[in-house]
Amino acid sequence: MTSTRRRLIPYGLLGPGAIWLALFFIVPMYFMGELALRTGTFTTGFQSGFEISNFSDALSGNTEQFVRSFIYAGSATLIALAIAYPLAYAIALRAGRWKLLLLFAVVAPFFTTYLIRTIAWKTILADESPFVSLLQTLHLVPEDGRVLATGGAVVAGLTYNFLPFMILPIYASLERIDTSLIEAGKDLYASSTQTFLRVTLPITMPGIVAGVLLTFIPAVGDYINAEILGGTGTSMIGNVIQSLYLEQRNYPEAAALSFTMMAAILVVVIVYLRMAGTGAFMGDEDERD
Amino acid sequence: MEAATATASAPRQASVPSRAWAWLRHNALLIFAGAAVLYMLVPILVVGVFSFDAGNEQGELDFVFSGFTLEFWREAFAIKDVTDSMKTSLELAALSTVVSTAIGTLMAMALVRYEFRGRTASNLLIILPMATPEIVIGAALLSMFVSYDVTTGFNTLLIAHVMFSISFVVVVVRSRLIGFDRSLEEAAADLGSTPLTTFRTVTLPLLAPGIIAAALLAFALSLDDFVISNFNSGTTQTFPLYIYGASLRGIPVQVNVLATMLFAVTVVAIALVLWQQRRAEAMAAVRPDPEV
Amino acid sequence: MRGNTRLRALMLALAALAATLVLAACGGGDDVGGASGNAAETAEPGPVEGEFNFSNWVGYIDKGDGGTVAEFEAKHPGVTMNYNEDVNDNADFFGKMSPLLDGGESGGRSMFVVTDWMAKQMNDLGYLQAIDYADVPNVDANLKQNLRSPEFDPDRSFSIPWQSGMTGLLVNEKLAPDVRSVNDLFDPQYKGKVTVLTEMRDTVPLMLKADGIDPADATKQDWLDEIDKLDQAVQSGQLRRFTGNDYIQDMTNENTVAVIGWSGDIELIDNEDVTWRMPTDGCILWSDNMVIPVGAPNTAAALAWADFVYDPKVQADISDYVRYVSPVQGIEAVNPQLAQDELVNPPEEFTANCSTQPDPPGSAEDVQEVTEAFQAVITQ
Repeated sequence: MTSTRRRLIPYGLLGPGAIWLALFFIVPMYFMGELALRTGTFTTGFQSGFEISNFSDALSGNTEQFVRSFIYAGSATLIALAIAYPLAYAIALRAGRWKLLLLFAVVAPFFTTYLIRTIAWKTILADESPFVSLLQTLHLVPEDGRVLATGGAVVAGLTYNFLPFMILPIYASLERIDTSLIEAGKDLYASSTQTFLRVTLPITMPGIVAGVLLTFIPAVGDYINAEILGGTGTSMIGNVIQSLYLEQRNYPEAAALSFTMMAAILVVVIVYLRMAGTGAFMGDEDERD
Repeated sequence: MEAATATASAPRQASVPSRAWAWLRHNALLIFAGAAVLYMLVPILVVGVFSFDAGNEQGELDFVFSGFTLEFWREAFAIKDVTDSMKTSLELAALSTVVSTAIGTLMAMALVRYEFRGRTASNLLIILPMATPEIVIGAALLSMFVSYDVTTGFNTLLIAHVMFSISFVVVVVRSRLIGFDRSLEEAAADLGSTPLTTFRTVTLPLLAPGIIAAALLAFALSLDDFVISNFNSGTTQTFPLYIYGASLRGIPVQVNVLATMLFAVTVVAIALVLWQQRRAEAMAAVRPDPEV
Repeated sequence: MRGNTRLRALMLALAALAATLVLAACGGGDDVGGASGNAAETAEPGPVEGEFNFSNWVGYIDKGDGGTVAEFEAKHPGVTMNYNEDVNDNADFFGKMSPLLDGGESGGRSMFVVTDWMAKQMNDLGYLQAIDYADVPNVDANLKQNLRSPEFDPDRSFSIPWQSGMTGLLVNEKLAPDVRSVNDLFDPQYKGKVTVLTEMRDTVPLMLKADGIDPADATKQDWLDEIDKLDQAVQSGQLRRFTGNDYIQDMTNENTVAVIGWSGDIELIDNEDVTWRMPTDGCILWSDNMVIPVGAPNTAAALAWADFVYDPKVQADISDYVRYVSPVQGIEAVNPQLAQDELVNPPEEFTANCSTQPDPPGSAEDVQEVTEAFQAVITQ
């Protein structure tokens, strides 16, 4: 094999996917950017232009929803992490022969449509449901309080729907742990808490980082949970974009808002990766090569 | 192994409550895991239970259990739109899985196996779609299709589904490729096998678990997608889109029946895979293993 | 170190986003949207045969064996009818269809069903074909008198009602016996237990009526004032949600005790205590209309279909199934019992106080302003 051919191989392998993503991701993004700068209304048509004010309008009118989206998505991500880590740990290191079965149980919700699951939650969380009565008896919810149609229900829905995205990467990172390392850690640090903090946690950090991002990002942009489980005053930025697109047909502002959201998410991701101190957003396990 | 150490180290004369406490402490993780799994399955249980509900007069879900019936299971495929949209979704998911898994696997190989100019840019190209909220992708794609006068429908759905699945496929397959023992491939090459034969007979079988996992994920993502599809479906009706429409008027009980069926089929399929794997392991165990 | 490359890559992404925008600004493009100003064609009659695609809302007909669709196919053996239930929401459907209709195409649909205001909007944009009544004699003969000249289409030149309905109150008689006017929804004792519709043209006019303002005479300011009142109800927690038909689940499960809702949905709520009430201030009357889009194939079959469902015998079956207000007169001769149901065949004095569904007053910009204000309250 000649060296030129060899050098061309990766491009050949990469080609189809790269072209697909360029055509159907990058180009659409360009169109969206172009749309975001147009002026006019639906009835008069949108003329191309350089209407930067679409961006300031998008931001200034919806600060509250922006903040709320990040708070909801952030809370859902933290709760998901708290549930996912022990679960993934148990599946990867303690489940034995049940491992695959449990793993399947985790992915199973994917196979009953998103909307059906969310509507099912609406039944479970209904005001007069046994579950909510239980919460009321335990004084976790005030006697005349409710769960459905509150921000809490939206966070619960987000947590549930994106949990598999948290579990799978953490599971993958735990699965690859060499258990002798943990044994060594036990000898070294004696306490299992110490072992966990100094050995297990650092090794699984890439999985956590990936899981957090894969949960947080779709959660910020979600609007279905807020629409089905939320009430008044629980709208997220996705609801606003949907309303701008479909109800108000203000395509430029919808596009501008979408762009602003993406930029905000990227900023959060950058800050987060700085703090997490690892560049392990997806597949950077090769760092340890 | 761990369990044995724990019991051995526990003082023999410990009182019953403290032993119970120790047991609880020791198994806390498993108990928690059990509860978490239960939590993940509860909504599916609700969906299943309501597939046996009598529903209202029009045979739609009424969200109170008004009586047990098998009627809707017997008539599972009676509502043409439910069945048709389910068929469309399965077809779409199957096609997009095949395409995205093939494309994604090749990309993963390029990224793990080769050093080349533009590697960072390629990584970025793969990360970005995952970092983009669905509503943005859906709206952007529609903007493009509209600008190019592309009629939205099954084809545009396929394009979109492949697009958002590729990144996930790359990530999963890549994680399998890393830590992949290349000596087998080299051995094959030494024995005079062509690169293509090596790929087919050595690389592919070894990669299979990763590829299967990626395909499964791509299939699930496609089957589950509502937001992006809603923007780009034109007149094509997928199962999630049908449900969304129906949820605004009244969801036929058959929707729950089909959802439960789909779940059951996946359970059986996975169980078969597991059983197959166990059997393979058992067979492997019969052969002497030189390393032990 | 690699972590840093990754960070740099993400920075690059941000820069790329910005670059896209700059690029986008330079590269102009065709105008998007806007009225095309097509001269309205008239739907062609002809031999009734071939494939016929009809789009309607979910649950608006009995599609089973021996249902209306099968009867139609039996009457016209050459026709294969595809009855699609893919209209979920006026705005949603418009969003999907407008790129097609803009280019003079209907996506294979010969006919679809949209609500009054949407029919008007589509017609204004040149998206619809005119209908000649000579081609639909049954419609000409049997369309109810009070539906013949609505404000949005005085000659019924492009729209034929499919079913009509009343927007009023759905009330749980046990839990909220005293809710009789739309204003009662704002009674603090029902805090968090009431909802209103996301459909602005139902919610706001009902509130106007409750405040003694005739929607036909209301000003833009009146609309904005009512929207402000909604805003306060959101702030105080009085309103639980804004809903479409998903109030069905909330009313069934008693999450809500009184809501603004559509008359026909009473059929779908499996809770004996819930009834549909005509508000003391009157209701909103609306119709979902059959329209023929530009570029529609097989308009002959579409016309034949419209004519077919205006046969009182056929209509009686549809009414019996959906229980909305029938736009067809003469069903009492076919099914006297059905004709006595005041939700299907409301007597004149029952609806005396009602208004037809209005658009916000003023120019397109004014309508846009009101719409934006309403959406801002919903997406809070």
